[in-house]
This record gives sequence, C-alpha cells and structure tokens, in this order.
Amino acid sequence: MRVLLVEDELRLAANIASGLREAGFAVDHAADGNEGLAYAEQNLFDIIVLDLMLPGLEGRDVLRFLRKKGIHAPVLILTAQEGKTTIIEMLNSGADDYLAKPFDLGELIARVKALIRRSKGASSPRLRVAELEVDTILQAVRRGDTIIDLSPTEYRILEYLAHRPRAVVSKQELLEHLYDYEWEHHSNVIEAHISNLRRKISIPEQETIIETLRHRGYRLRSGDKQ
Amino acid sequence: MRTGASITRRLTLSVLLLEVLAGLVLIAIVTNHERQVRFETFDANLRASANELLGAVQEANSMDGSVRLESEGLHLPPRAAFRVLVDNGQVLGGRGVVPTVAFESDKVSRARIEGRPFRFYVLKGDRIIDPNSSRAVTHRVTIIYGLPEGRTWHAIFEATRFFALATVILLGVTAIFMSWLVRRLLHPIRELALKADKIDAEHLTFDAPESSKQFLELRPLAFAIQETTARLQRSFERQRRFTSDAAHELKTDLAIVKSSIQLLAMKRRTVEEYEQGLALGRDDIGRLESTVQKMLTLARLEQSVNVDQRECNFAAIVSDAITQSQSYGQVKNVAVFTTETEQYAFILLNPEDALLLCSNVLINAIQHSPENGRVEVALESRVDEVVLRVRDYGLGINEDDLPFLFDPFYRGDASRSRKSGGTGLGLSICKAICERGGGTISIANRTEGGAEVCILLPLASSWRP
Repeated sequence: MRVLLVEDELRLAANIASGLREAGFAVDHAADGNEGLAYAEQNLFDIIVLDLMLPGLEGRDVLRFLRKKGIHAPVLILTAQEGKTTIIEMLNSGADDYLAKPFDLGELIARVKALIRRSKGASSPRLRVAELEVDTILQAVRRGDTIIDLSPTEYRILEYLAHRPRAVVSKQELLEHLYDYEWEHHSNVIEAHISNLRRKISIPEQETIIETLRHRGYRLRSGDKQ
Repeated sequence: MRTGASITRRLTLSVLLLEVLAGLVLIAIVTNHERQVRFETFDANLRASANELLGAVQEANSMDGSVRLESEGLHLPPRAAFRVLVDNGQVLGGRGVVPTVAFESDKVSRARIEGRPFRFYVLKGDRIIDPNSSRAVTHRVTIIYGLPEGRTWHAIFEATRFFALATVILLGVTAIFMSWLVRRLLHPIRELALKADKIDAEHLTFDAPESSKQFLELRPLAFAIQETTARLQRSFERQRRFTSDAAHELKTDLAIVKSSIQLLAMKRRTVEEYEQGLALGRDDIGRLESTVQKMLTLARLEQSVNVDQRECNFAAIVSDAITQSQSYGQVKNVAVFTTETEQYAFILLNPEDALLLCSNVLINAIQHSPENGRVEVALESRVDEVVLRVRDYGLGINEDDLPFLFDPFYRGDASRSRKSGGTGLGLSICKAICERGGGTISIANRTEGGAEVCILLPLASSWRP
C-alpha cells in the first residue's frame, strides 16, 4: 500500500514515514500543499496523510481540490489546531479521519490501515483469499494453523490483491502502489515476487491462487471477504 | 426602586420650570397691561360723565338768574358718586358720599369711600347766565364725579385668571408632549445601548444602528464605541492568533519528540540505531526548549515596561554582538564588517535585551547570506537617536512577506525556516525590544540586492547633547 504524506515539518515527516515504512507501507513525502496536490493528482495512493497548516497551499484547500478532481483515496488529517469546527469542516470537506498533534505513531499507523481497509471495502482486518487468511495487523498469512513465511514485498502484493478480489490488477498498478518514488521501478521485480509468492501459497496439485492474464495483469482466483 | 436620574424627567421638568417662569412673567405683563387699558377707559368714562354733568348745569334753564342742575335725561350709573358745586361751595346737586378734600381740577384722584376704592374726577367750568346781555353773570361750577374701582379690578382679575388657567392647561399638555418627545428622541440612545450590550469576547464587532448615526450628538458616541470595539477586536485577535500559533508550534514540537521515541520503540533495534535515535530526540527536545524559552522572552518583553529600566551603551553592545556573531559567521563562511561606528550611544534598555536584539538581527543576516557573503553593520548617532543598520547580500525578502515579518511565528517559508532552526519568534522579539526602548525596527529590500534592517532607538535623555 502506498501512502502520500503531506507534512511541512520535516523531522515529523521523517518519523511518520519511517514508522509507516516499517509497518510495510510505501511512503512518498510532500513538504508543501502544492507539491502534495501534484503528487496526489497522480492518483497512485491508497491513502493520503495530510497536515492542515502547510506553506503554499493550505491543507484544507488541498483536500477540497482533491475531492473536486475526483480523487477518492481516503484522507487522514493531521492537525495541531484546536476546535471542533475545524474537525467538522474537514470531515464535511471529504476527510475520512483526523488525528490531533501530538499523536501516537502507533495510532496513526492503525488508523491508516483501518482507512485503507475501509476504502477497499473490507471491515475486518483479516482478509480471506481462497483458503488463506491474511492478517493485516500482524502482517501474517495463514493456512489453517500454519503460518506461511512471506517476504515483506510478497506479503504486500498478496494484501493488495486480497483487497481487490476478482479484479485484474496490472503490474503497473502493483508497482505504483507498493513502491514509493525512492525505489527503482522494474516490472520484472513484480514478476519475480509473484512467482515466489505463488510458490509459497499454492498447494502443488491444486490450481494456482494467483492467475496471470496475459498483458493485463494478475487476479486472485477466488477471494472471499468477510 | 428606581435609582439614578432620568434625562426624560430632568428635561421635562426643566422645560416645565422655564414654562412656568415664562407664564408668570406673561401673566404679570398681561395683568399690568389690562389694568392700564381698563383704567384708561375708566378715566375716560369719568371725564365724559363729568362733562355731561357740566353740560347739564350749563344748559339748565335759568328762571331767576340762579344756577341749576338739570338732572333729567342724564344717564349716570347708580353707583356713581358726585357733587356739583357753584362758586363758594353751594351744592347744586349730588349723590353718594364725596370726600371733602380739595381735589386738583382736571385730574383723576383716588379716595376710599366707606372702605371701597373710588376714583374721582374734578372738572371746573363756567355757567354764564344771559351771556348776550350786559347783565351777564358768570358762575364758577365745580364738578366732582367718582366711580368705585371694584368692577374694573374684578374684570382685571378675571382676565388674569383666564390667562393663568390657559397657562396651566398648556403646561399640562406640554408636559405630556415633552415626555413623549424626549422618550422618542432618546430612543436611539437605547438602541445604541442595546447594540453595545451585545458586544462580548465572542462577538467583538459593533455596527452602530442607523438611528444613532442620524443624530449629530450621538455620532461621536457611536463612533467611539465602534473604534474601541475594533481596537479590542484587533488586540483580541492578536492574542488569539498568538495563543493558537504557540499551541500549534508546541504541539508540532511535541509531536516530533513523541513520534521519535515511539519510532524507536516500534521494534528491537541495534545499539547504533538507538544512539542515533536518542541524538535526534535530544535535538528535538532542544528545539522545543528553545521555542518555550523564546515564547517566555516575548511574553516578558510585551509586559508593561519596567520602571527600573536601565541605561546601556548601545555602541559597546553592538561591538559585543559583532564579536559573538563572528564565530557563527565563520561556520557559515560569512564575514561581518563594521562600516561605521560610535564610541558612546546610551539608550534606555537593559543591556541583556539590547544584546539579544543585536545578536538576533546579526544572526538573521548571517543566516540569509550566501556562502562567502558579507554582513555590514553601521552605527550612527544623530541628535536624539541612534541608528543601527545591518545589511546582508542575500536574496532579500519576498515582497508578500514584508508586512508580516514581525508577526509572531510568521515564517516566509515555513519548512525552510524550520530547517534553519528558526522558531519565527526572533523578529517579534526584536520588535518588542525596540518598542521597549521607545524605538522602531524595519526591514527593507535594497535595490542592490539583499535586505537591510534599520533600528532606530532614542538616546537616553541624559546623553543628548
């Protein structure tokens, strides 16, 4: 999952980005409103964490422009401003949640996860993929009682696909949502990860869980959301 | 119980009192006039009746050469008193009581008859018997004719009473009309008060009602309330913004400290990672501490001026600040030059505040200087003030930012300033110090490039030439 973090306070942004990356997210950082809006307009992000007080374009304006342009990624507002009116105004302008500074980094990560889950249509943090269970909190995949050992990238691919059962997800989309701009983009990286993932989660005699559709992408054979 | 004076009542009473006075004077004038007119008529009547009597004597037939009074055909009022005397006091006729005192002729005189006031007229004339014959005899006839004044006085009294009554009725009507009118005229004041009553910390706006703007007398009041409210609002707004900005600043710094620690605690890390994290955390706390310190400094400076404000030699302090800032300049490879200086320039500021002012301005200039740049400092004493100019050769200031530079927590470019460790309070502190010393501070872009800070401080009175 890819997060856009719009925060002008660089030390804080660095901490949040590190925390999110350690929790398995790809994070892009924008230091002001205009840059944030430019990033967000690419529509690559699964969630946007937006500070309200920004130089250039203010956070509330970034939010309004985003919604006007039809970008529906969930937005988590970070604010150091007091007052219920700000919160109400933000939620009414299309924000999905807010956190007041100084917040708890763990809470921020949990909320980011919950918002992504919600936006993908899942309410439980445990997703079902065929006979597998993907625990988005522990970032673990189980078949029955056995935990399947996946690398972080493999897990992220599976989680991303699990959020979009029965939909065709292109390599490009996977690249865009799993990596931030600091990574080198190579679509064969995805192919390698998919192949490893397939090997780890499939049972030899059975049909593969992840289908490959030529020139189109990947699809989960059968996803079952709770 | 209602206490306090009422303008309505006072105004009405004042007007009524004036009216009563005017009424009394008017009644006095009218009475006097009435008396004069009435008595003139009265006296004319007296004269006419006396002449009538004389006519009756003159025209009476004289059978035997004696004088007679032909009183038939005379229309004398029954209450009249008169005597007709001939020559040496022979009474030809008369009625009622006539005083025996000798009256002047052709004059109206007053006398009291049986306790009642009378006016008498004395007319003297001749009765010539056989005027055409040689035996003509001339008799001196004296007529004393009088009438009681009673009726006339009564008429005057009646007239006065009428006027008095009319005045009282008028007073009543005026009182009712006045209180209505005053109430009506005072209505705009009530409206103004009602509107002013709605001013509180939440709604610090005041728009004077139209009614109060119509009246010349109320305009200054409405204007004063409007101005005061606006001033209060500005000051409240400043306070509110400061509090909100300060809270924002502190919360952001706290968020950094908190997230740094939480990030470290997210998982087990190597000793190097912990050491690095702790070092960053120490920096974060250092910045938080500096923000709090500066906020406290600003709060102290903005409090009312100390009575025991000390004097200091600004020239010496400027050179101290230059020495101190040179080491920072070396780190940034910026040279600090003195282009003009003085030996003494005593100003009314605590030396610590003056030093803080100078080093803030110098460090600011160094921060905004390019690598290998220079900062020029010029101190110049004038008649009653000292001028400090600090120039840098940096990029200058964005024109949009110029009006807000001295606002607390204002940063032209938030992220850039933060990076350089600025809290956005430095210039606010400088401004507060300058104001404490009775001076001003301004920043302008120079046409040659870079910015110039200009500080004007009045010299301490004992040091003025």
